[in-house]
Amino acid sequence: MIPTIDGKLYHFENPGIYDGLFLMADTETSTFWNHITGEALYGELVGQRLPLSNLLQMNVEQALAMDPDIEIALSPYEGPRIAGGQYARDDETRDLMPRFAGTLGTEDERRPRMELGLGVWTDQTNRYYAVESIRAQGNFVIDELDGRSVLVYVDPISSTPAALYVDAGEARFEGSEIHLSDGTVVRAGSLVGPDGGPRSVDRPLQLFTRWYGYARTFPGTEIFGED
Amino acid sequence: MLKGSKFWGSFFVVAVLSTVIQPAALAAQFTTAETFDINRFSPNGGQFETFYVTDSEPLGALLDSNLISAETRVLLTETATGKLAFLTDQMSFHHIAQGEANGQPWMVTF
Repeated sequence: MIPTIDGKLYHFENPGIYDGLFLMADTETSTFWNHITGEALYGELVGQRLPLSNLLQMNVEQALAMDPDIEIALSPYEGPRIAGGQYARDDETRDLMPRFAGTLGTEDERRPRMELGLGVWTDQTNRYYAVESIRAQGNFVIDELDGRSVLVYVDPISSTPAALYVDAGEARFEGSEIHLSDGTVVRAGSLVGPDGGPRSVDRPLQLFTRWYGYARTFPGTEIFGED
Repeated sequence: MLKGSKFWGSFFVVAVLSTVIQPAALAAQFTTAETFDINRFSPNGGQFETFYVTDSEPLGALLDSNLISAETRVLLTETATGKLAFLTDQMSFHHIAQGEANGQPWMVTF
């Protein structure tokens, strides 16, 4: 996101929970904001929306494969789970804490509340891909999003779902790589051309999240395989 | 560990926000986005602290130092000066990070 409105910089904090998700509040006006859509929800800046960009999830090896010179910002925070390991949010058996559940409105019960999936959205479309549904397709699917082909896959290294626009109509896994019918290859989250050189990647906005959060943020969302 | 003054400074700001902003008071003061229901907002008491980023270091060097492993989970964003990574576990505490690159503000949320 870009935290400016009409050229003015705003500073954001986390004041609490709504729809089972954290809200943002800018410290200048105390307006509440949706941290997924960047939309002002409550306060004097309602009507404003912060420009969005993707925050991709991967592991260190993949990040370095994408850009060997990449930098990392380290905070002073030393949590209990810093030294690797599987992030607890991958646990689909965990239930939503009562304090979070109490902030949910009417739930969309088409999918299990805590199911993990990839939400993908554009100005015209929003669609939810359950990880389970992607796996059932062989860990990837080439779908259509606003007339463009989009590859949605579960990364074999990080087990994280991701989506990117492609020009191919077919694909196959070879080890940890996805080989596309136009000769390009998805390797460590990056797109590589037939010559082995990097290709620019265009990705729709996406979020790896639980069903309840995506469904509350995008009411009536399409569900891959069900619509 | 968090530096004491910085931690408590931010705690104070958010705690004040959480104390002042109670649902009933807000409902009378502000306009509301069409579907937002302030009665479902639950203040968290300011337990999370935004990460204001002022510097960074090469990810490869950090890996070489064995402070992290190749499997450590990270989040990636694009700034005006290139890609920037964060430790997923640190962002699960901060939830928000802000900074500037070449004078252009950026923000990530998780």
